[in-house]
Parts: sequence; structure tokens; C-alpha cells
Amino acid sequence: MTTAIRKHARNNVGGIMPRLNIFTGLLAGVISAYIVWKLANAFLPGDDSPTRNNLAITVALFGWSIGFMIGIGAFVGPIRWLLGKDLSEEENHFLAGKNQGVWRYFRFTTDHKVVGIQYLVITMVLFGVAGIMAMIIRTNLATANGQIVNASQYNNLVGMHGIIMIVATIIMITGPFGNFILPIMIGAKDMAFPRLNALSFWLIFAAVPVLLSGFFLGGITTGWTAYAPLSSQSSPGMNSYAVTIIIFAISSAVAGANITTTTLTMRAKGMTWSRTPIFVYGAVISVALAIPAFPMFMVSQIFSLMDRGVGTTFYNANGGGSAWLYSNLFWLMGHPEVYVILLPAIGALMEITTVFARKPLFSFRAAVVGMAGIAGLSVLVWAHHMFAAGWAPALDGPFMVTTELISIPTGLLFLVIVGTLWRGNIWLRLPMMAVYAMLWNFMIGGITGIYLSDVPADMALHGNMFVTAHFHFTLMGAGLVGAMGAVAFWFPKVTGKLLDEKFATPGFLISQVGFNVTFLGMFTVGLQGMPRRVADYAVIFERGNQIATAGAYIIFFGMLLFMYAMISSWISGKKAPINPWGSQTLEWTVRNPIPLENFDELPVVTSDPYRFGEKR
Amino acid sequence: MSNLTSARSKKAWYKAKDVRSIFVIWLFLTIVLAYGAINLTPKLMGVQASDTMEDVVRTMVYFTVAAAPVAALVWSIALYSLFGWRYKGKSIPTEDGPALHSNTKVISTWVVVSSVLCLGLLVWGLSLVSSNASENAPAEESLVVNVYGQQWAWTYSYPDNGNVESHDLYLPIDKHVVFRVTSYDVVHSFWIPEMGTKIDANPGAITETKTTPTKLGEFTVRCAELCGLYHSQMQNLVHVVSEADFTAWINDQELVAMTNESEGAK
Repeated sequence: MTTAIRKHARNNVGGIMPRLNIFTGLLAGVISAYIVWKLANAFLPGDDSPTRNNLAITVALFGWSIGFMIGIGAFVGPIRWLLGKDLSEEENHFLAGKNQGVWRYFRFTTDHKVVGIQYLVITMVLFGVAGIMAMIIRTNLATANGQIVNASQYNNLVGMHGIIMIVATIIMITGPFGNFILPIMIGAKDMAFPRLNALSFWLIFAAVPVLLSGFFLGGITTGWTAYAPLSSQSSPGMNSYAVTIIIFAISSAVAGANITTTTLTMRAKGMTWSRTPIFVYGAVISVALAIPAFPMFMVSQIFSLMDRGVGTTFYNANGGGSAWLYSNLFWLMGHPEVYVILLPAIGALMEITTVFARKPLFSFRAAVVGMAGIAGLSVLVWAHHMFAAGWAPALDGPFMVTTELISIPTGLLFLVIVGTLWRGNIWLRLPMMAVYAMLWNFMIGGITGIYLSDVPADMALHGNMFVTAHFHFTLMGAGLVGAMGAVAFWFPKVTGKLLDEKFATPGFLISQVGFNVTFLGMFTVGLQGMPRRVADYAVIFERGNQIATAGAYIIFFGMLLFMYAMISSWISGKKAPINPWGSQTLEWTVRNPIPLENFDELPVVTSDPYRFGEKR
Repeated sequence: MSNLTSARSKKAWYKAKDVRSIFVIWLFLTIVLAYGAINLTPKLMGVQASDTMEDVVRTMVYFTVAAAPVAALVWSIALYSLFGWRYKGKSIPTEDGPALHSNTKVISTWVVVSSVLCLGLLVWGLSLVSSNASENAPAEESLVVNVYGQQWAWTYSYPDNGNVESHDLYLPIDKHVVFRVTSYDVVHSFWIPEMGTKIDANPGAITETKTTPTKLGEFTVRCAELCGLYHSQMQNLVHVVSEADFTAWINDQELVAMTNESEGAK
């Protein structure tokens, strides 16, 4: 029967579309990279210099990405439109993955639920890869003269771990849940631009081999910040870094435009702004903030590629350039970016708090104002990363002011969550534990951030393990914890199975204990004066580092348990009821498994989704 | 009469019992945090070898003490909610909490208090920054040291003493010193942890930082900006010595430099 349906579906769709999938993409990508590489080597002017080699590698990496996107069929739709033969309804259904079973995950599929799951899987893979790198780094730092890896490998691991984790944390909530859950939450059939949705995911997928190619091209030995002019003199691996960032910036622009437009135009009838769930605010503010932020990063890397490959001198002082140009561009992205990561996590945790405290959000408006305030201020604080750079001492004061002002809207977000807990009927399931973990971790991350915002204190702490511990407390302690809470919360809807809390809960708790041991240990060596990104260190820092390393192993064990719980429940978990938590948002009203266009009948919204404690 | 009390308790957004317990937890946490900040911070941050570092440690302590009651408030309510308001059943709770949508008093108090705290931090920080800038004034009385970073070593030169060069940094105690820092290659960061002073060494630009060493002894310079392969090894010693010892050392260096020069001329 199923084969008959599949045949039927295929029969209606002719041409090249049904033949394209991830494998044709990989094939086209590799062939294209090879051809471009050969052509570049044959025709690029000049001798056999590093500059020429950098340029050849760069164009070959772009060749791979474009070839892959063509091979997977990303451009079939636009080309058909150009030829005046727009896709038929059947072809659009085929593109949405109708009746294709597991295969739809390996194609250029437009259904937002498929894209969401693709994002979830790639995020988990990235966390796995960069997590193992973190373990090697911590193992090397277990002794003052760690010899597990050499200095060059160590620097490469630090850079790779950093950039992979940053990419993974940026996509970890808006990717899976912004795509899978958000459209259903607002009562839409799909995203506003389904093809752009698929495009944004497959661009990230294409960027992963580009990034990993850095390993074979001498490594990304500059840390994730890739400061110039260190990056200019680094190995060809830097080209991989820069190309990855450019692709990633395009992907996030596309995803940001899509999620924003979907929310603006496709909310269900009656879903006014004050009836729109807070997670939607978190996700939309996050991606909207990324729209101005990431182009800065992209430009910084285009200049970097030009300095490396064509001999321009944007960042080269000898040619009239400036290292400060790079750091400004980088942090113009870099500080909004941390809130791009954080806001959807806080949004998800607020959603969770109302459901598991059985209370309305304690001031929906305060939550919105808090998020908007953070987003607004976050574009005005970038140079607090440059207090020690000596770039503009006259601006130290103003940037200190804007940075410390962020504590006010951030404080509002704490008030909203604590106020929602207040006199609630606290149902302490796994998603709710993430809320408590965040309240602990993010408070520490926030307060340590205040020290760093203070110019004199920052002069002592900048470039130091204290900073490393601080941003792990925010990005991991609040961001990743929010993502784990979101996974635990929405798992029954995304997979149709119940998450096995017998393994997931201890996994989560163990990882939280390990997390605090690791990074409190790191705070102490930071206060003692240990620089970050060092392969070895003075003996006085040994004890704190051993504590941090022991903690890292505990995190790793906890994360393995959590991952095991996720995978085993996904494969063979108990079937989930439609609304296992008694939540009131729209995603819990649709059938399991969710039909292609989500709703049998489009919902009409008559109240906000937090009517706990009232007659419903 | 009983009707009146029940109506009032329904209306109140808090119960005295909850508030009492939370207050006790809050007080305990605040005291622990403030005590920890005051005692642990100076211990962990080690030697304070300059007036700058003394400011830094004071700042850290002050900020932690100011933040302690806020953190304690959030944590005490969270902690209490786990015991006082816990739902013990297995399935979806059938009872909800009270529908408290907002409370103008609570929110405005919170915003005012956090703004006042934030203002306190700003005043503290800005006054430190401006007092640092005023150290600029007696430039003639300061010792100037030029600092050159390169992969992976520091070089120091003393322009007031015939530009003698050294790979170890010698400083006289209690004398205001101005470091003029630059780099020959990539960005480094000149950092003396015990003195709480740091500034990047940028190629093609000179940056400045100042401090006054207040303790005799040997300290370290560490590079605080990833600068390539041997970033971790890019460190050397700072010797803070008495005025007399410094003069003796610098005269020695000048002599050595002159001998080298004349030998080179031969």
C-alpha cells in the first residue's frame, strides 16, 4: 500500500526534482569544488605564493557550496519560475515531502517540521563534535604541562570548539523550535517562505564540511574571534573559517527574514500581539537582531579573505590598515550575537514556567519590554570587548554605561520568571528543572558580567579564564540549559514520543553539577590571573584546572545520558498524548503525528495562552 | 467577620508564612554571599602589587556585595517554591496557581531598585575611570617604559635612560609608571596580573597604560591575547625594586649598552 502511494506521488512529479537529494548534492559539490580548484590553479595569475593558494582554496570552497546547493535542488524552484513554468500544486506537495517517509529528511524539503528536525539533528551533531573537542582541551589542561596535544593542535581545538559551539548555540533553539514549533504555535500551515526555510538549513549543512576542511588545511589556530592580523598570517584553514561565516551569515539572514515575516503575517485569526506566546517574541526578537548583526561578521570575513587572497591591507598596519577595524566589525556582531542566543532560550523557559507553575506569566508586558530593551541596548555595547584594546579610551565611559544599563531589562526577565513561580503549583518535571538551573546559572553569569563591564576590573580580567567562565555561564548555563528545557518540553510534540525521564533527568542534573564544578573552578583560576587560550600554564593554576577538568568529565557523562535518553525515546519511546503537560498554546492542539499542513481546521484565537487559575 | 478575612486573603497576592520563610532564606544567602565576597575575593586574587590592583579588588568586592541581595532574592524565592509550593502528584495538576497577571507595585519597585543599583555601579566605575585619567597629569614625574610585543617575547626600553633595552622589566617601587605599548607583528596584550594593568599591543599604534607599583618583589607579565603558536609561553618577570636598586640596575644597563656599542664600533 505505502509503495503504491509513493509510486503515485512520484508519478505525478516528473522531471529532475524527484531525482535530487543529499547524495546528488554531495556529488555535485565535490565535482564542482574539484573543477573550480583545477581552474583556479591553471588560470590564477601570479606565482606559487601563499596568497594565490589562499585564493584558490577560497574559490574552491565556494565552488563546493554552490555545487552542493545546485545538486540538492535548491534552485529548481527559482529556475522553473524564470522559465515561466512555476511549480504545480503536486510538485509543491512533493517538495514539502508528502508521502516520502524518512527520505524527506534527505532532500530539499520545504515542510517546516522537516526543517525543524533537520536543524535539531545537525545541532546535536555539532554539539557532539565540539563537545569532544572541549574534552580534549580540558584533558590537556589537567596538568600544567599537558602533552596530550601540541601547541598548534591545541590552538586549533580552541578555535574549532569555539566557532562550532557558537554556530550550534545560535541555531539550537530558533533552528529546531523556531521552525518546527513556532508556526504551529501561531496557528499557521507552514512558514511564509517554505523554500527559503529549506535553503537556510541546507546552507548550514553545506557550511559544515567547509568548516571541518579547516582541520586539513592547517587548522583554525586563532580562536573563534579570528583576530587580524593573526588571521592574515595563519594557515589556509582560515579560509575555511571565513567562507563558513559568509555562508552562515546568508543562512541566518534568510532564516531571520522568514521567521519574522511568518510571525508578522501568518498568525491565526484573533491572535493579537498580546495573545502571541512569549516564545514567539523571544525567537522573533532574536532573529530580527541577527539581521543587522551578522552582515558585520560577513563583511569582516570578506575583508579577511581579501587580505589573505588578493593582498589588500584592510587589517595590515603596514599598508594603512588597522587591527581595530577587524575587532570593531567583529564585536558589532559579537555582542548582539550573545542575545541572539539567549533570548529564544529565555522565551522557551518562560513558556515552560507558566505551564509547570500553572500560572499566567507574571506580567507578559514586562517580559516583552525586557526582551526588547535587551535587544535595543545590545547593539550599543560592542566596544566593551575592546576596553583593553586601547582603541578609544574616551569611549570607555559611554560603553560602560550602555553595558551596565542592560542589567535593568535583564533584571525584568528574572522578575517575570520568579513572579510566575510565586505561589504557583510547581510541577517539577524535567523542563521545569531547566528553569531552576537557569535561575542559578544565569544569575552568576550576569553578575560576573557586571565586573567585566567595569573598565578597571575588566583591565584585570580581560583575556583571562574569568571571561571564559563568564560566557560559558551565560551561553551554556542559560542558553544551552534553555535549549535542553525546550527539548524536554517539546519532545512529545516534535517526535510524537515521550522523553524517557528515567535517563534524561539524571543526565540533565549530572551535567548541571559538572557544569558548575567546571566553571566555578575556571573562575578561581581566572581570579588568580590565568590567561585564556593557553596550552600550558604556571603551576599555581593547577588545582583550579584539575577541578575544572573533573567537572568537564561529569558534564560529558551527563550529556551522554541525556543524548541516550533522547535517541532511545525517539526510536522506541512511549507514544505521547496530544497535550501531555496540559498546556494552552496552539501547538498542543494538533494531532500526533502532525498532518502535513498542521491543522485540520485553522484555529481562531480568543484569549492569551496563559489562562491558568481562571475559568477556561 | 470571617467572610471579610477570607475575602482579604483571597485578594492578597502574598501569604505571610511564605514571606517569612523566604525572608529567612534571603537573609542567610545574602550574608553568605557578602561574607564570601569580602573574604574570598582578595584571597583568590592574590598579591595586590599596585594601586590599580587595589582598586580592582575593591571593585569586585563592592559589586558582589551590591549584587548579593538581588541574587539572594531570586534564589530564595526559587528555593522556597520547590518546597513551599510544590505539586506532588504524577499527572497534570488539576489545580492552578492564582491568576496573578501583574502587580504595578512589585514591578515598579523592582525597576526602581535595580536602576538605583545600576546607577551605583556606574558612579563607582566612572569615578574610577576619571581618577585613572587624572593620573595623566604629572607626566614629567613618571617613569616611561616602552613595551614591544613580538611573537613570542616582550622587550622593554627606557627612553629616559638612553633607551636601554631589557627582556626583564625592572620598576622602582612607588613611582608612577607609564607603559607605551606596541607590537611588531600581531595583536598581543601586555598584562601584569598582580598589578591589574593591561593594554593591547597593536601593530602600527601605540597604546598607553599606567600604574604605580606598591610592593617589592617579582611578578609576571603574561600575554593576554592569543597571538599564535607559543602564546602561552609569552611571559617574563617584573622586578619591583627600591629606587636605589633601580638606579643601580639602569646605570649598569647603560654601561653594558655603551660597551657593546663601542665594541661594535671596533
